[in-house]
Amino acid sequence: MTGQAVSFAGLSLKNPVLTASGTFGYGREAAELYDLGLLGGVMVKGVSREPWPGNAPLRVARAPGGMLNAIGLQNPGLEHFLSTDLPFLRRYDTAVVVNVVGHDLQGFVDVVRGVTGQAGVGAVELNISCPNVADGLLFSQDPASARKLVAAARQATDLPLVVKMSPNVTDPVALGLACKEGGADALSAINTLLGMAIDLRRRAPVLGNRTGGLSGPAVKPVGLRIVFDLAAQVGLPVIGMGGIETGSDALEYIMAGASAVAVGTAVFRDPLAPPRIVRELVDELEQHGFESAAQAWAAANPAAKEAAS
Amino acid sequence: MRQWELLVGEVLAPARGYVELRLEATQALEAEPGQFFMLRAGNLPDTYLPRAFSWYRQDAPRRLSFLFRVEGPGTRELARLRTGDLLQAMGPLGRGFPLPQQPIRAAILGGGVGVPPLWGLAKALLQGGSDVLALIGARAKAHIVGAKEIAALGARVLVATDDGSEGYRGPLTDLLPEEGIDAIYACGPEGMLRRVQQISLADGPPAYLALEAPMACGYGVCMGCVVERAEPPSDQGEYGRWARVCREGPVFAAQEVRL
Ligand SMILES: Cc1cc2nc3c(=O)[nH]c(=O)nc-3n(C[C@H](O)[C@H](O)[C@H](O)COP(=O)(O)OP(=O)(O)OC[C@H]3O[C@@H](n4cnc5c(N)ncnc54)[C@H](O)[C@@H]3O)c2cc1C
Ligand SMILES: Cc1cc2nc3c(=O)[nH]c(=O)nc-3n(C[C@H](O)[C@H](O)[C@H](O)COP(=O)(O)O)c2cc1C
Ligand code: FES
Repeated sequence: MTGQAVSFAGLSLKNPVLTASGTFGYGREAAELYDLGLLGGVMVKGVSREPWPGNAPLRVARAPGGMLNAIGLQNPGLEHFLSTDLPFLRRYDTAVVVNVVGHDLQGFVDVVRGVTGQAGVGAVELNISCPNVADGLLFSQDPASARKLVAAARQATDLPLVVKMSPNVTDPVALGLACKEGGADALSAINTLLGMAIDLRRRAPVLGNRTGGLSGPAVKPVGLRIVFDLAAQVGLPVIGMGGIETGSDALEYIMAGASAVAVGTAVFRDPLAPPRIVRELVDELEQHGFESAAQAWAAANPAAKEAAS
Repeated sequence: MRQWELLVGEVLAPARGYVELRLEATQALEAEPGQFFMLRAGNLPDTYLPRAFSWYRQDAPRRLSFLFRVEGPGTRELARLRTGDLLQAMGPLGRGFPLPQQPIRAAILGGGVGVPPLWGLAKALLQGGSDVLALIGARAKAHIVGAKEIAALGARVLVATDDGSEGYRGPLTDLLPEEGIDAIYACGPEGMLRRVQQISLADGPPAYLALEAPMACGYGVCMGCVVERAEPPSDQGEYGRWARVCREGPVFAAQEVRL
């Protein structure tokens, strides 16, 4: 493999930098600023079978080194995604990963089936790790129910199947192994960490939903630890995310074992962060003596080392 | 919308708790009245996210000022800037105040941190030949901002304070004339906006409200800043219940939103 391209789990990316789900909408706003074809891929905002309204305001709050959000997966639903958002994204030469959400197993499966066979969909990502809706962590609570969900999704699609891991569990590796047994092709990690902010004046939680998900640079060490463990102990490719702001952060994730990375909250501070990180990663790899991201991954990844020995 | 690095010129303290930053860009900045910018200075833990501010005054194409009240870490950090410092800005963002095609008799209302967008609005209305009555509200005399500056543009200005230490004592909306106003423009506390909305919807003149909401991105990608629509589009189901303040707003017609 030469240059920037990476390929894993049946997914071929022109470079290893994607945008994380929920921080990029369906690409329209960023496309006003740069060519989405500069990106390895776009992981779209969670798509549910029916439109979801999301949570009541307030939905965002400041937090040290990042932010809290309790958006609650507001999205226009599968039909709108297929008729409007996917055709828009198809105009760009970038991989589209559809983040899928549901209230129950059937809800997930219907969306997975709905996007399967649609031109321009590169992979699906099952979001079993949203802390901001009542049943968002339902399938992360025990490995058995995660396995069941992934197996049902596996039946419904031949697309690369990615499962998004929660940091809000005691044993991410056990969950990852269950997803692998269910038939997942790759894992993505991490989703946000459950947190809270208190408004001293109102003497109450800031967020309408009371709790929210912590993201941004503050969570990077947690993301690196979980990606490292998943890559070393589950044996599936991992898309790493959590607090990536620079090319050097991206390379840290790759050395922790990530096959690709996603940029989330950083786009709120700097809308041009994703293409900037694509460029910075090239420089960073060169500085550390690598010809490609795949080479850096192979050099540092414990799983790859193990396989070689 | 684009990113700017702005040089801090003068730093003024026009009223108790308020700071006006006069900034310089390397190129001309063009923004409509009611549009806003996301500002950030430095990188303290609690100021990771940029903060939203309406632009206030512009006296040359490369110069723009912002007026804000010190509230929390974001505004405290901005208030520490000194002449010669640099500031990151993104904008202009959002949909500003709609301006009339013909001269009208306009009432513009601003309470507290709602005053800044009125300067540009007053200027544009006056340039279009409209008659402008500006109603400026504050907690007390020491907190009044923008009244002199907006009067200097040629608008008629009336002031109301909560404690009566200057001008009328009581809600700003009491100063709205019953007759002879073709459109109302308002920015400020939610109670005031709600009252203006009621007046407008009860057979009053059309009104345009500039809203605030906590924001993460300011350009439409996070869904963090939503306000409830009065009449959701029929084809979007539950999803259509919300509009983004940063993208569909911050200025909404009174009949568009539920406050
Ligand atoms: C479109 C728009 C235009 C605006 N224009 C102006 C303007 O021209 N001038 C101006 O002064 N302001 C303006 N604002 C408001 C301005 O954005 C806020 O005052 C600013 O974001 C406050 O940030 P802060 O960090 O100083 O305060 P914060 O402390 O972050 O927020 C202020 C309030 O929220 C509570 N709060 C919020 N998050 C938390 C948290 N995580 N933990 C605890 N408490 C929290 C605080 O108790 C406090 O009451 C505008 C807002 C918008 C949306
Ligand atoms: C405002 C916001 C909305 C998000 N929405 C989703 C979502 O719809 N689906 C999902 O799987 N993750 C969602 N996430 C999680 C991110 O995709 C990402 O996993 C997490 O924020 C960590 O990365 P970061 O620190 O780079 O943001 C959201 C995060 C934020 C901040
Ligand atoms: S602030 Fe992010 S959508 Fe409005």
